[in-house]
Amino acid sequence: MPELPSQVALESDAYVPGAAVAGVGAGVQGIAGRLPASGLVSKKGGIGITFWICAGWVLFMILLAVLASVLPLKAPNFQDYSSVNIGPSARHLLGTDDLGRDLLARVIFGSRVSLVIGFAPVLIGLVVGGMAGLLAGYRSGPADTVLNAVSFVLLAFPALLAIMVIETFWKPVTLLKLTIMFAFVSAPLLFRVIRATTLSFASREFVVAARATGAKTSRLLLRELLPNVLPAAVSFALIGVAIAIVLEGSLAYLGLSIGLPTSSLGNIINDGVNSNNLSLNPYIALWPSLYIFLLLTALNLMADRLRSYFDLREVSL
Amino acid sequence: MLRFIATRLVQLVVICFLISVFAFLLVHLLPGDPTLAILGPNDTPAARAVLLHQLGLNKGLVSQYGTWIMNIFHGNLGASFLTKQTVTNALGVAVPIDLELVVVSQVLALLVAIPMALIAALRPNRLFDRIATTSTFAMLSLPTFVAGPLLVLVFAVTLKWVPATGFDRLSQGLGQNLKSVILPSVALAIGSVTVYYRLLRADLIATLQEDFVTMARSKGLSTRYILMRHVMRPSSFSLLAGAGISIGTLFTGAFVVEVLFQLPGIGYQLVQAIYSRDYLVVQGMALVAAVAFVVVNFGVDFLLTILDPRVRRA
Amino acid sequence: MSRWGRRPQLSFPDVGSIEGPLLEVVDLHTSFRTGRGLVRAVDGVSFNLARGHTLGVVGESGSGKTVLSRSIMGLVPGTNVERSGTVRLSGHDITAMSLDELREVWGMQIALVFQDPMTALNPVVRIGRQITESLRLRAGLDRKAAYETSVALLKSVGIPAPEQRLRNYPHELSGGMRQRVMIAIALACGPKLLLADEPTTGLDVTVQAQILDLLAAQQRERHMGMILVTHDLGVVANRTDDIVVMYAGRVVEQAPTAELFARTRMPYTEALLRSIPRLAEASHTRLRAIPGRPPDLATELKGCRFAPRCPYAQDHCRKEEPPLRAAGQGHLFRCWYPVGSAEGDAALAYNVAARVPAALAFTGIPVRDAALVAPNAVGSA
Repeated sequence: MPELPSQVALESDAYVPGAAVAGVGAGVQGIAGRLPASGLVSKKGGIGITFWICAGWVLFMILLAVLASVLPLKAPNFQDYSSVNIGPSARHLLGTDDLGRDLLARVIFGSRVSLVIGFAPVLIGLVVGGMAGLLAGYRSGPADTVLNAVSFVLLAFPALLAIMVIETFWKPVTLLKLTIMFAFVSAPLLFRVIRATTLSFASREFVVAARATGAKTSRLLLRELLPNVLPAAVSFALIGVAIAIVLEGSLAYLGLSIGLPTSSLGNIINDGVNSNNLSLNPYIALWPSLYIFLLLTALNLMADRLRSYFDLREVSL
Repeated sequence: MLRFIATRLVQLVVICFLISVFAFLLVHLLPGDPTLAILGPNDTPAARAVLLHQLGLNKGLVSQYGTWIMNIFHGNLGASFLTKQTVTNALGVAVPIDLELVVVSQVLALLVAIPMALIAALRPNRLFDRIATTSTFAMLSLPTFVAGPLLVLVFAVTLKWVPATGFDRLSQGLGQNLKSVILPSVALAIGSVTVYYRLLRADLIATLQEDFVTMARSKGLSTRYILMRHVMRPSSFSLLAGAGISIGTLFTGAFVVEVLFQLPGIGYQLVQAIYSRDYLVVQGMALVAAVAFVVVNFGVDFLLTILDPRVRRA
Repeated sequence: MSRWGRRPQLSFPDVGSIEGPLLEVVDLHTSFRTGRGLVRAVDGVSFNLARGHTLGVVGESGSGKTVLSRSIMGLVPGTNVERSGTVRLSGHDITAMSLDELREVWGMQIALVFQDPMTALNPVVRIGRQITESLRLRAGLDRKAAYETSVALLKSVGIPAPEQRLRNYPHELSGGMRQRVMIAIALACGPKLLLADEPTTGLDVTVQAQILDLLAAQQRERHMGMILVTHDLGVVANRTDDIVVMYAGRVVEQAPTAELFARTRMPYTEALLRSIPRLAEASHTRLRAIPGRPPDLATELKGCRFAPRCPYAQDHCRKEEPPLRAAGQGHLFRCWYPVGSAEGDAALAYNVAARVPAALAFTGIPVRDAALVAPNAVGSA
């Protein structure tokens, strides 16, 4: 048994998460958002090359999805029975599936749903929840109490279950409806993060000083508080995007996301697992899995870098 | 303390009430005549009369809710108009499976995560810590619908160690039973290991720097004693909170794993009911699952309060 | 006991049976490898402590006195630390001991009282177990004997209703009570040497004296050696036999207490003395703080470490570090221009005339008539 390390020369990244965000991630991944920064990268210097590489990668993936119909890709649903289940080749860069569909085209077109559901609701949540959180954190009062209670109730629900059940009764499933439902998940989470961060800044000297000089509330919020709250908000928003992508993927895997003919990554993985595809042609499931893995890794790394760069470990919900 | 319990209980009741209202209103989201949608191909006048009576659709919304909730309190969670199976019966089949999945996967996860976190925290930033921290970070990006197929491909399809799908009851022998739950449990444990390792490691590193650890060393106590009796408990609160969330989520939401491995737990049955548009079953099961989720989370929260004397004071 | 690991049987001779001092520290160095370089926290410290005697270690924060107390015990982390020198307890070299052997010393021979009882007591463990665990695991008492001993211990450190306190958690006690509990824990196994690291810093002024008196009483009763580490010369003035003054990891003055106060030689000690508020002074007398701050121990230091802040400092001080010199009766000091000497007076006068900030700040209220000495007289001194 080794000797215990003592106090000197140790650096902790203790970041104790609050239990308040309970029901958010219906997948285990949900908890990931409240994990400590891993300290994989050194703390000195700028935000680091890792962050920018990841940001560039995510941007590249978004561009691919946006430009999918302009790019020289095959039609994602075109079935070519003359070339079924072939591996990666010059004609089909990633191969084809059991119906002869080009997997590269399917993955890129399929990523559209994942990316929209990943980013749109979180952006909505960031704007709505963020503004509410900023106001509630700056000015505690009855409005704060009510908003806090609402967010608490919304977060107590198991998110994936709620979305699955609601969309069962609220047919048909559309991108808009999914976005709205996911926004209901992300807004209270971001509200709590931003409210807590704002609270921690609202009593600091520089805010009090600005208030003492007679600055207007809007100026205080936008010029003094917002810049300080933003890093935490963005870091959690990135985690939120990752959670949303996982949730949408789970739904799609279960066949409960947007209906056919739009295939999302989860659908393709499900195709690859069903019947004997997994043993016959593991590529069908492999490519979308790899896509999701790389996307989530980039998002998690970005959030991690932001957290350690801005030293956000003390934010507790 | 008593006041704290009372406040928490009131919160719990309010949230359960809200869940029941949402669940109740679900049926009214259905377009057109809900009885048509619910009955589907079984639309006979007799069945419709039963359903109308059961839902109280001819009465006002509030008294409809009253009828519905009274039924539930009498243990009547509704029944399928397709298979005639009651939700209560379906839950009787599902709950033991979910319990087994939760227990096996969480025991696995803790058995891996706790020693890993201990070794990493004792020698932070050394080789083991770097490898473990980096690999758990990568595992963060492996959702169940990615990790599950991968496990099936390796252990069921290629190595043929365990069956890919299906569930064998305990009555078919312990070995048989474990063989059928081990892969799904591993799939579920992957996510939990990541979370538990990272929470515990961070807390351990923070605790090991505390004065009271140096104090314990200065008493001449052994490293193992200090770890077990002084360090673990104050370091395990985040871990417990994380475990609570995991357990609540897995118990009621292991949808992907149960569908992938075809284990008829709550998640699987709920998804099947959704596929076959068995609306009343979906409603009843969702209600039970959501309430169970909330209750488990409150229970863990409560347990934490009892275990941490610092919080107990407040 | 076996459950928690092997307990090596190391025979420590009884206190009375051996000649010589209880503790000998010879040229002790402790450095930390950090990102900025090697930090020399303790840099060549030597002293002896006789049985039943009390030694005060005084210095500002950052002077290495806390590291010194941990370092004497060997209670420093194994990685990123360089330690050299010898520490002998009752003649046994504890720097050469293995971790298992050290554990025999910790608690049984040497015990540590920490600065802040709130952080040094485990917040989620009842007081009772924190006292009895060393009695049971180290002294080998059974449950009942350990309980009775801990009740007696709490009584002896002046805690009322000890049976109830044993069931409390640390946060349920007041600061003074917590410090008493910590002293009881330190005393539990009857150590021969007590290291008290700023034992009163975190406490109210009214409680401070009580705790110091308690420590002194216990020390007398048990005939322990005690090292009292503090930043406050006032704390050690009446309670110690000898005093070691530390600055930037070095011993800069060392003497029997009365001698040190009567014939201060080191300018740093003088400055510390002048920063203590005195009842005799008018209530609005300005306290003479020492300007500046201790040097960064990660950088290579040349000359006397106090020179940048010293009112007496000359070029010589900045070039060459003075050795530890003897001035009779066990009085050691490290200065080229000692306080109270002709050279010292001349150096101060020269600095005042040259308007050196440290000297001007020092003579804010004139203590010596600076004008009598010609500035250029110093160069030849």
